[in-house]
Amino acid sequence: MLLPRFDVLVPETIDDACAMLADYADDGVRILAGGTDLLVDLRRPIIPQHVPRCDGCPTHPEGQIATTIECEPSKSDPLMSPEGSIRTKLADPKSAAPAFLVSLHKIDQLKGIELLPSGGLRIGALTTISEIERSSEIRKDWTALAHGADSLGSPLVRNRGTLGGNIANARPAADTVIPTIALGGKLTLQSSSDTRTVAAGDFPTGPGLSVLKPGEIVTDIHLPTPSPHSGSAYYKMANRKALEISTVGVAVWMVLEKPGGPIKDVRVALGAVGPTPILAKSVGKVLIGKVPTDEILVQAAKAAAGDARPIDDHRGSAWYRVQMVEQLTLRLLKSVLSGIENDR
Amino acid sequence: MSDYRILNTRAPRVDAVDKATGKAIYTDDLRRPGMLYAAILHSPLAHARILNIDTSRAEQLPGVKAVVTYREAGTTPYGVSPARYDETIFCHDKVRYVGDEIAAVAAVDQDTALEAVRLIKVDFEELPIVLDGRTAMDEGQPLLHEMHKNNMCAKVNWHFGDIEKGRKESHIIRTDHLSSKMQDAAFMEPQSILAETESNGNLTMWSSTQAPHYVQRTLAMALNIPLHKVRVIKPAVGGGFGPKASCSSAELAVCLLAMKTGQPVKLTFDREQVFLHSRARHQFFHTMTTGVKKDGSLSFLEHKCILDGGAYASFGIATVYYSGSLLGGPYRLKNMKYDGYRVVTNKPACGAQRGHGAVIARALFEVQLDRIAEELGMDPIELRLKNVMEAGETTCNELYVSSFGMREALEAVRDSAAWKNKRSSSGKIRGGGKGIGAACGFFVSGAGYSIYRSRTYHCTVVTKVDEVGGGVTVNSGSADIGQGSDTVLAMITAEELGLSLDDVQVASGDSKLSVDLGAYSSRTTLMTGHACREAAQDAKRQILEAIAGKMSVAPETLDLKDGFVVSLAGEIDFSELRKEYLQEHKGFVDLPDGPQLTFAEASRVAFLELGTIVGTGKYRPPPLGGSFKGAAVGTSPAFGCSAQVAEVSVDLETGEITMDKITGAHDCGFAINVTQVEGQMHGSIMMGMGEALMEEIIYDKKGRIVNANLAEYKIPTALDVPPLDAIIVESNEPHGPYGAKEVGEGAIMPVIPTILNAIYDATGVRIDELPVTPERLMAAMKAKKDKKG
Ligand SMILES: Cc1cc2nc3c(=O)[nH]c(=O)nc-3n(C[C@H](O)[C@H](O)[C@H](O)COP(=O)(O)OP(=O)(O)OC[C@H]3O[C@@H](n4cnc5c(N)ncnc54)[C@H](O)[C@@H]3O)c2cc1C
Repeated sequence: MLLPRFDVLVPETIDDACAMLADYADDGVRILAGGTDLLVDLRRPIIPQHVPRCDGCPTHPEGQIATTIECEPSKSDPLMSPEGSIRTKLADPKSAAPAFLVSLHKIDQLKGIELLPSGGLRIGALTTISEIERSSEIRKDWTALAHGADSLGSPLVRNRGTLGGNIANARPAADTVIPTIALGGKLTLQSSSDTRTVAAGDFPTGPGLSVLKPGEIVTDIHLPTPSPHSGSAYYKMANRKALEISTVGVAVWMVLEKPGGPIKDVRVALGAVGPTPILAKSVGKVLIGKVPTDEILVQAAKAAAGDARPIDDHRGSAWYRVQMVEQLTLRLLKSVLSGIENDR
Repeated sequence: MSDYRILNTRAPRVDAVDKATGKAIYTDDLRRPGMLYAAILHSPLAHARILNIDTSRAEQLPGVKAVVTYREAGTTPYGVSPARYDETIFCHDKVRYVGDEIAAVAAVDQDTALEAVRLIKVDFEELPIVLDGRTAMDEGQPLLHEMHKNNMCAKVNWHFGDIEKGRKESHIIRTDHLSSKMQDAAFMEPQSILAETESNGNLTMWSSTQAPHYVQRTLAMALNIPLHKVRVIKPAVGGGFGPKASCSSAELAVCLLAMKTGQPVKLTFDREQVFLHSRARHQFFHTMTTGVKKDGSLSFLEHKCILDGGAYASFGIATVYYSGSLLGGPYRLKNMKYDGYRVVTNKPACGAQRGHGAVIARALFEVQLDRIAEELGMDPIELRLKNVMEAGETTCNELYVSSFGMREALEAVRDSAAWKNKRSSSGKIRGGGKGIGAACGFFVSGAGYSIYRSRTYHCTVVTKVDEVGGGVTVNSGSADIGQGSDTVLAMITAEELGLSLDDVQVASGDSKLSVDLGAYSSRTTLMTGHACREAAQDAKRQILEAIAGKMSVAPETLDLKDGFVVSLAGEIDFSELRKEYLQEHKGFVDLPDGPQLTFAEASRVAFLELGTIVGTGKYRPPPLGGSFKGAAVGTSPAFGCSAQVAEVSVDLETGEITMDKITGAHDCGFAINVTQVEGQMHGSIMMGMGEALMEEIIYDKKGRIVNANLAEYKIPTALDVPPLDAIIVESNEPHGPYGAKEVGEGAIMPVIPTILNAIYDATGVRIDELPVTPERLMAAMKAKKDKKG
């Protein structure tokens, strides 16, 4: 096995988990949910440079931090910051080869999909991608998230991978995160000393980087009450039909004042076209208050493309990604609109 | 259509249940007492001089049993083609690609072995690197090997017929290009190796190999051990496709560690190492100029190709020949010129992969035929039908096709896919994002010569009749690597001996059992099939002669069928035999009491008469091919051919490609096992589809693979593969057992051009760089639009 050695701790409550994270902080500790990202990241490569994601946690041959490994932004992960380096983040060498993993799998408080009295939805961080895929509530009222779950990995990965893991991993292409941002989702973060709420869009700060502090756990995800005359969708573009990291992913959420227009609110989130998922703010400026017409939707799609910040990499070039953002945004705006109209 | 009981059916594979239930034993499943684990130190640099290797820290690590470098291994050169041995077990003077093997360690567990490898300190002097095959031969490029001047390790210059004459006769002449990328064969099972020595100096290696025989020879040669003291065993293998057809540095290193420590040593590749070791498809840069007469008949082909083969020659010499020779068919082509250059670069070495050397050449030629058909205003299938060879013809490069269902295959896919309804007969494209395309292919059914040029038999089979009676065991050195050759041998034996499949045991994949060159060049069914039939017939003759003698009848009047001895000359009196058999089996139940003598009785009594009964069979092709340099490559006792039609949808705004359907027809001569023939066709189509649309090894500018894993190196998933319609054509090959010939590789030949031609029909654009990703297609569509607008 090319995995380093570690011990696994199995708390049964969030409080215990937080306490363990605090207690073992000095030894190097990481949270384990489904493990579909973490175990891949922990694998020690044969050739150090073969780490496919150089923004994650590459380990040096000797288990040290990869201070000597050069990451070339153009040739390595697209999803890393265009400026390049990973070195800044990995200050703590122990975080690369943790001595302990805190497994969340026995914490029931972190599980489940729950319709709140307010009409909103709470999804426990440990909810698997398959559970999201199967939830009829999510498919009906938070459709984009169901699309995101449908498109993630393969059935095997979806059975293990969790929503919290997809979020906490902070990848710019994360398939449930782009929809969650477009839907206006909020995350609850808890540590032994504090509980706080952040907007899903404010969570990631760079490829693999986020506002999550050491010792903090993402406990649940809140999706707001669906507005009347609203709808959402997500589309992932990639070279094959499963087991893919997207070349581009676009999520659209839209609310109309009334059937036929004008547009009351809209959010477009873009994946894999920058160091983090991007909320395409210019789209709102074009669309809010306007009656949707073909011309204005085209303008909005162009605005979304203008907000994208992609780089060239082995999954696609920047020009292609920008084109695709425009194309997919236009299609999704149209399909969400017609969905809203058909819902009447 | 046939009188066969077992052949030509859908008999389940003999290993199906074991594989489906996880019972099948692969090399990595093996454990031996006292077994050590090996790890390899791979070069992190693409090209560097080795100044010093310091293994002292590794040796001191507790748990480490041996550390070996070139100092222990020696520097006996080895490789695939004897004239181009350019590898040594470990690097000694230089490293030539990221992944090149420098040292190996055996330790009590894998963690320790890996840790020890990390403690080996190598001082390098970095050298400039060569990454682009197109310019590798240019003056002033850094040189990888002294023996490969100008970084060229082989070249072929052929001219058959007279292309100038062909040029003059041509109505249309066009030149096109196509390039591809290096690939990975993406077999399921990473290479795994276990080696062990005995006190008498015998060495046994279990390995997930396609060619135990060649590996045995290389181990003996490079490690300097007498050949008979080396035994190579191939447990169940999870796919090979070519890269497992030659002996690897890892196999040699593990054997060396076993010899040094006196303990069993195991190594299983990480997926990353599969990519590093590679030996998969070369990168090809083809240019072809083809001419046709007014009526569409081919007048000449002028073909140039550079093959980028990475750091070592490996199979590359054969590859560069195959790239040219296999364009000799399936069309009548009198004039052909070929200039092929196989270069070395600082990347993992390439070797043979399904459709060896010929896949990209075929793709460009078939694309050219479509483009010519368009210029002629002719239906592309009509153009092909006009040119196809028939059985009994010889190509301009002296390949004789003794059976040839090319026309039948092409007509079958045309009709089955309703081509005429979907494609305008004037050769005009459909456009609008829906497309249909066709192409053909041509491939050997077993290489005509062994790699080490010898008069050796290509295979022998030893079929032993169970001394207790009732069953037989087929002993063969052939390699079932998942393609199902054990099932073919069992079916042939059962057919010949009138047994049920359950009464035939196949022992194979062991160099001690018999000589067999292995699973490559689509040779096993034809070649080992011949030897297997001969062995079964030999055993049968001995049994029948023995019992005929006992009953005083002529052996020719007896036959074996459905588990019984049948008499062709009226009733026979076998009461003495039965009495003897019953006498021996007091206390047994269900003893034979019917009106026919059973095989169990006959084979037991025959043993009592003769002692052990062993039937033997052997096969080697007759001398084949012309006398020109390199004429041997491409020769074969028989040739398979295929035709396919692909239907695709292209999203004109994103470039996304959806395969809607592929209809394929393949002439395999005779389907020994119908399901397995279809399985090879399906697998070929999936593999070709991956090559056409998604597979490429990507290097950074330091020669490191960016996507050395199966997440980033894309092969088609089940969701990408469209409905496949596999049509079997049976042309009854006179040189094949029961009329059978290949299907394992031939069926991949048309896939890429079929898809390229369909994409063109859908979009009106041609892409000359594989794979056709949505982005490349989008860029081409945009360029076309920009040009127009
Ligand atoms: C073959 C394969 C295909 C994949 N395909 C896709 C794909 O198409 N799209 C996609 O977006 N992803 C894909 N992934 C990535 C992965 O499956 C998802 O990101 C998944 O949702 C991660 O969830 P997990 O529970 O497995 O996370 P883990 O691997 O357990 O954890 C991921 C990271 O998040 C941290 N973490 C986990 N849970 C929490 C929590 N509650 N609070 C704080 N930190 C936490 C961990 O410490 C770790 O750093 C793929 C992975 C594989 C192996």
